[in-house]
Formats: sequence, C-alpha cells, structure tokens
Amino acid sequence: MDRMIMERVAKAAHFALNEEEIERYCKDFDELFNRLNMIDGAPEGEGHGVNPLEVGDVLRDDVPGIFFDPYELLKDMKTYENYVRGPRVL
Amino acid sequence: MMIGLEIHVQLPTASKMFCSCPTTDAEAPNTHVCPICLGMPGTKPVLNKKAVECGIKLAKMLNCEIPDIMWFARKTYFYPDMSKGVQVTQYEKTVGSKGVYLLHGKKPIGITKIQLEEDPGKTKRVGDQSSLVDYNRAGTPLTEIVTDPDFSSPAEAREFLKQLITDIRHTIDLPGDGERSIRCDCNISIGKERVEVKNVTGLRNVERALTFEAIRQTKILKAGGKVDRETRRFDEERGVTISVRKKEYESDYGYINEPDLGVFHIGEMVRSISIKESPVNMAIRISREYGIDEKTAGQIVSTSVNLAKTFEAIAEATGSPQKAVSWTTGAISANWKAFEAAGKDPAGIVRITKRFADGDITDIEADIELKAYMTGSDIGTIKEQSAGLDQIVGDYLDSHPEIIDEIKKNEKAINRVIGHVMKETGGRYSSSDIVSATKGALASRL
Amino acid sequence: MKDILASLPGLNDKYSMFSCIAEDADLGDSKFLFSAEDGLTSKDMMTRCGSKMLDGHRPVFDAAAIEKMRAAGGKLIGKCNMDEFGFGSFGTNSAYGIPKNPFDLERSCGGSAGGSACAAAAIDGHVSLGASTGGSICCPASFCGVYGLVPTYGRVSRYGLVDCGNSLDKVGLISSDPELLARFLPVISGKDPREPTSCAQPELELKGERIGSVGVPEEQLEGVSKDVLSCFESSLDVLRGMGVEVKMIKMPSLKYALSTCFIISAAESSTNLASFVGMRYGQQEGDLSMRFDDYFTYFRTKYIGEEARQRILYGTYIRMAGLRERYYVKALRVRLHIIESYKKAFAEHDAILTPTMPFVSPKFEEIAKMTSDESYGIDRLACPPDVAGMPHISVPCGYDGSGMPIGMQLVTDHWKEDPLITFAKDWGKAFDVRRPEVSL
Repeated sequence: MDRMIMERVAKAAHFALNEEEIERYCKDFDELFNRLNMIDGAPEGEGHGVNPLEVGDVLRDDVPGIFFDPYELLKDMKTYENYVRGPRVL
Repeated sequence: MMIGLEIHVQLPTASKMFCSCPTTDAEAPNTHVCPICLGMPGTKPVLNKKAVECGIKLAKMLNCEIPDIMWFARKTYFYPDMSKGVQVTQYEKTVGSKGVYLLHGKKPIGITKIQLEEDPGKTKRVGDQSSLVDYNRAGTPLTEIVTDPDFSSPAEAREFLKQLITDIRHTIDLPGDGERSIRCDCNISIGKERVEVKNVTGLRNVERALTFEAIRQTKILKAGGKVDRETRRFDEERGVTISVRKKEYESDYGYINEPDLGVFHIGEMVRSISIKESPVNMAIRISREYGIDEKTAGQIVSTSVNLAKTFEAIAEATGSPQKAVSWTTGAISANWKAFEAAGKDPAGIVRITKRFADGDITDIEADIELKAYMTGSDIGTIKEQSAGLDQIVGDYLDSHPEIIDEIKKNEKAINRVIGHVMKETGGRYSSSDIVSATKGALASRL
Repeated sequence: MKDILASLPGLNDKYSMFSCIAEDADLGDSKFLFSAEDGLTSKDMMTRCGSKMLDGHRPVFDAAAIEKMRAAGGKLIGKCNMDEFGFGSFGTNSAYGIPKNPFDLERSCGGSAGGSACAAAAIDGHVSLGASTGGSICCPASFCGVYGLVPTYGRVSRYGLVDCGNSLDKVGLISSDPELLARFLPVISGKDPREPTSCAQPELELKGERIGSVGVPEEQLEGVSKDVLSCFESSLDVLRGMGVEVKMIKMPSLKYALSTCFIISAAESSTNLASFVGMRYGQQEGDLSMRFDDYFTYFRTKYIGEEARQRILYGTYIRMAGLRERYYVKALRVRLHIIESYKKAFAEHDAILTPTMPFVSPKFEEIAKMTSDESYGIDRLACPPDVAGMPHISVPCGYDGSGMPIGMQLVTDHWKEDPLITFAKDWGKAFDVRRPEVSL
C-alpha cells in the first residue's frame, strides 16, 4: 500500500491521519487485502446482484404530503432564521 | 474546440423523488422537508413513479436506448447541502443511453446518457461565520442529460439548448418560465484538459460562459501555459468564470448500487408510454417523409400541430404531398382559426381534397366547399362572394399586368392586390380569401 | 414485569447491556417488555449506534420493528449496546459500555448485537431486537447461550434501522425462549410501504413445517475448537434421535463468504457513514467558521471510533475507480454464486447446519491480544447466510468445560422462516438450555 494512496483515501473519506496512523493503516491494508484477494478467482453467479434476492418495482404515486412538523425536525439543529447552519463553503 | 453539456432538468412532479414532500415553492426555508430528504439516520427512499415516467419520456425524445431493467447508484460527495453525504443517481444502468438528437434537423448531437437523480439542497454563502442551508430543494427529481462533446462553438451549444428546452417542455409538460430550473454544466476543452463550468442558468449565460472559457483557455495555451483540469463557476454579473476547485477525480465519488430502492423493470412502462412528437421532430419528419422543404414543414407545424396532422392525412389520401402542401398552406390555413374555433372534424377537409384529387370537383369548387365546411357558412353565399371577388381580382390584374410579374418574383406583391380589393369593397373579403383568389387567377393565366 | 423494570439499573451496572434505559417505570397497559439494539431509532430514547458521533441524537420516528412491538403491547425498556455502527464481533467497540457475558463477566457477549444478547440471557422471558449484517445476531446469541433468529433479507422492514450494509442488513430477534421468537416474528414481519426491500416478501405463515434433513458442509468444520466440535457432534446425534437425517456435504463456495461480506459491507457502510459530519443531528459542537471539508474531517476524526474508521477507509478504497471492479463488483457476483450454491443444497436438504462460532466466547484480555488473523476469521461460520440473505437461527447446543455456551446455526432457503421456528421450539423441548446465574 502506497502512502500517497492512503492519503487520498483518507482525504476522500474525510479523516485526518497522523504519521503513525498512515504507517499502521498501510500495513493493515496490505494484510487485509492479501486476504480479500482470495476472491480473485472465485466463481460468479448470474444476475445483477443489487440485492441478495429480487426487490423489484416498488414505486410510490406522485402525491405530496407533509407528515412531520418541519419545526420539530429542526429542533436539535443549529439554525438561523430557519436556515440550517453549516460550515463555511467560501 | 470540444464542447459538451450536462443539462439538469427539474421534473414536473408534485412530490419529491424519494419522499412525499411537496416540490412547490415553500413559504420559508426548511419547511418542505422530512426525515428522508434531511438524511436522518434510519430513513429509506421510495421512488416516485412519475419521475420514472418523465425520465422514460425524455429518453424516448432523445432517441436513447432504454434498458429493460434499471437501478440507482450512490455517489458519495461531502457538501453541507448534500444531506446524506450521498447523492442517489444512476451509474451502471441509466434510464437512457447512446441517444442522438438532431440540431436544426441536420446535425446529430450524441446523447451519452440520461439519468435520474436527486437535487441537493441550496447553500447560501454568507461570509466567514458559517453557511446557511435550505433543504427544501433537496430530493427534487432531476434528469441529467449528458451530451457527447459534439458542439463546435458556444453559439451552437446555445442553439442546441434552445431547441432542446422547447422539446423538453413539450414532451413532459414542463410549465412556463422553467429556464431557471434548467441548469447546465458546460464542459469545454481547447487543448487537452477539460474544464467544467458548473451550474450555469439561462441560454445566454451558457453562451457567455463558454465564450469566456474558450478565450481564457486559448490565451493560456498561446502563452505556452497549461490549462488546469478543474471545476469553475460563472459569475453572471461580471461575465467571468472563477475557479472553484481542482477537479476531483471521478474515482473518488466511489459509485456503488443503491440497494434500498431495488431494481426497476421498466420494459413494460417503456412500451406503454408514448410521447407526443415534439414540434421540432415533427417538422423534420414531415420534411423527410413527404419530400417537402424544411421551412414549409416548419411553418405548417408552427401554425398548429393539428394542421400538420391534417396535412399528413391529405397527403396520404391524395397521394400528392405537393398538392397537400398547396391546399394546407392555402385555403386550409386561411380558414384554420375558424375551423378550430368551431371544433369540427379534420376528416371533412380530407374528404373534400380527396374528391378534388379524384377529379370529382374542380379546384374552385373544392376551395368553396372547404371554406363552407371549415367556417360553417352557406355554400351559395360563398359562391356569390367568391364570384364577386374573382371578378374584382381578375379586373384588377387585367388592368395592372405588371403586378403578375412582380408576384412571380416576390409573393409579397400580392399585398397590392389585397390593398386594392379592401379599398374597393370596404373590407368585405378577408385577406386570405383575396390571396387564394389571386393565386387562382394567376394559375389560370399561366 | 415491575420487578424487572426496577432491577434494570442494577443489571446494567453489572452487565452494561444498555446504552440507555427507559426513564419512565410506568407499565401502563404494557403486555410485555422488550429491548432493542441501539441501531434502531426510537422516539423516547436516544439512538446512538454505539457512536460518540450520534451523542444526543433523538430521532423523530420509531423504527418499524419498534413501532410494531409497541403496537402489540410491548414496552421498550432499553436500547442495547452494540459495536459502533455494527463494526465488531465482541461488543467492545461501543462508546457507551461494553456488555459483559452473563456466564462469565470476564468474557465478551459477542457482537455487534452484544447488548441485545446479553439482555436476552440475563432477563427472564425477555426478547430483544437486533440487527445482522454478517453474523451480528448469531455470534452474540451463541456466545450468550440464547436463541438468535435472523429472518430473510426484507422480511422485517428496515425502516428506522441505521444502515450498515444496505444489501445485507436484517432486523431479527434474540431470546432465551424459542416460543418468544415464534410469537414475535409475525409481529415485526410484513410489507412496509416506507421501505421497498420489505415489499418483495410473500406472507409469513407459521404452519409448523419441520426440518427433515440437514446438510453439514464439512469444510466449515475445519479449524473449529475441540470443545465446539465435540459438542456439535453430539448435537448431531440428538438431531438423528429427533428423526432428522444428517448428511455431510461439500459447499466450497462458503469459503468466499467472509471476504464477500467484508467487501460489500465496507463499501456500503462507508457511503452510509458519509452522512455523519457534525451537522443536523447528534454531536454538533464544532466551529462553523471552518471550511466545510476541514470541519467534516475534524468531526469524523474526533468522533468516529477506530474500528468504524478503518472500515470506512477500506470501503472508500474498495469503491475507487480501478478497484471497484476488482473488489466491489466482483464481490456482488461471488455473492450470487454463494446464493446459487445454497439453492442447490436446498434441493437436497431442508437446512444447512454448522456450529455458529468456531470457539466459545473469549476473555476480554484474550481479545486484546488477538492478532488480526485470529479476529478476522471469527465470523466465517456465522456470516455466509447473512451474505446470501437467507434466514438463519443460532440455537444453544451445549457448554464447554468452564460452562460457556456453544451454539449451532441452521440456514434455510429465502422466506422459509417457518421450519426454523418449528425447529427452535422442538429443540427447546429436547435440549436443556442453561440460564446464567444473575445475582445483583
């Protein structure tokens, strides 16, 4: 496992790793993927595999409705004039 | 120059894609929200049937291949207004792919794919303190239409978009002023690296953003620089694009299936849904099928889609598309408004033209019968009026033979005949009647 | 029931099975008591999934299974400790206490639904709701000497279940009394229009269908401890005595189940856990003037525990372009093969039988010393039916020299919970289940 790749994975997953962790995870990754690689030659079945059994065509009609009090939904959030406050984007 | 567009169209559903929250404008931020579109732990999505229908209609409109079975994918993406940290979209099996759409009926534009997905919420940028997020828009159904990089100029991309939007509106009954609810990501590369300008709204802005980018990239390359692969946004006021971030590799979106929704066997739905032919496509088809020029076909269709259908019926019945054109653009067009107002059956029109084609009646008789049928007036009165009109027109042409040559050069010269008759008769005859009388007189003089 | 309610704080001090106990001791019209793994949302108690990230999270809705248990007259007495977001086999990855095994306080209850199995073992006539992704119900049921039932994928609505692996997760039941599984499975089953995967099911019918033959995949017995193996073999004799035909069979595909399960659950859970960023619910103490990427990173680094973090990193890696084909897409195809091989086996046998766990519950000090090789393989017997979405049950079948319980696991075809329930009831009569001594 390349430490550059580990850094990219951590960035994509939004974790800050220190030197020791990067080193340790690189080692763990190598160990783990050595095991997981056993599926390389495994036989394959037929199908799309989205679910372990067929879940098909569950649709709802286009009927609007509000079933939760929106103010109740915001009760544990940080808000300002009913906007949800989040971290800076600029 | 390579230009491709990714067009996001909000679909005209009453409720959101995966929950029943209304899609209408809300009175305040975060009032059209529920645990599902807020991404609360434990919630599950349930797909809106109408969103699928709209997707299929647009896929058909774009002549896409539509699979018998489709499913959804999760695209992982961290942003404050992306409530689940994941956008549910399509990846492997999209509602349509490999389509083609003709610009101006001539230039084929490849449609890479069309996919159904959910809109994120909206983030207000407010300085240094924090962002403010409104999730009312989160979960609104969208289709994303991705074109191949087939446009050769910003103007062409704009033309395409204009035509496409007209057709989309017609196909899925997208209500009026929807231009703002159609957003575009514009991809443009002058050299090797592709730049994406995100979230441009409005036709004019698409062309402006692309033009700015084309010039910016050309300048960089001429100066021996390197264009960065990145995402930019368009500042409408200043007319410039601004770098937002270096392009994340698509690999980091980490698409996987969305098992919560299962799969959808849409084959049956695809067969049962027929789309209204878009005016643009109809004109193109008529022009090709009947061998008439595109402009005329376009005129007929733009007068009325029903008029165009009547034209087709006449062409079929009489076996002569050329005659059908002259009847349709002549007497039938002239009386079309009255005909539609009276709500009569176009089959009557076809019967009359057929009798003419079979030689049962003369052109003048057919003309009179058409007018009588379409306007619901008495044949005797029309004959009388028409005879009177023919007389006046004939006399005028006899005394002004130079007009005949003028009309042959430019049809607009008929206006002189119209002016004369109107003045003589105090406006007793309609201009369309005068035009057809004049054309009749000219034809008999050839 | 009043006595039980009154004893909860004392019980929890001793065993740490609950992350949260019902504050109100009023029984009202309640007909029975139940508890639920903390991965199921509850309106009246926090739902934290064993994670600091969700501290303070009070959902506005009950999970479907909790809602149905309440509607049937149940009182929710507590939310059970679990490995954070379902990641773990020993119950040791919870921020709210590590459940201790009622048979030996120095040993683990198993995981991830360790708290649920602990409550089921320690409280008389109790039933607990758990969730299973890859052995998460059967492992702790086996370690705690109770019955653990995992129904077919989609049998019980997952509405309100905080997702681990969406194509793997199932809500199930744990109890020391098999009659309670029979009583409550119909209560929590059924289609739920709020949860599409529940809508594929045929109606659940408990008609008393019996298991006439079991196949024992012999490869699965390799590496199983001596105690577990001898206990399992004597259970086979009991089965034969009950008139069940027992045959040794080969199912080579099962060796792929663990890796397949790991890959799919890591990939899926790493997307589910992308929603935990310190906004909207749970822990939100951060400084919003940070840029969003930094803010999210700060939160996730600080509040997501070690095991969950590793799974997210693995899952993120597995999903990356260039790798997703090799791992994620491949695992989905291998899963289809595993399902096919189960179906083939069910053409010959009514159920597939193995020990549930390769050894009895280890001591916490042993767990701390385990190498990654040792801990990696622990769910290799329990997880194959979970991967295949097949219903399965762990039943207690013996005890080792130190009195620690041993379990065996039966698997049937999709939607065939009926023979599992019948079997558990029959087994309950044939096998003398020991209850731990619970003194406060």
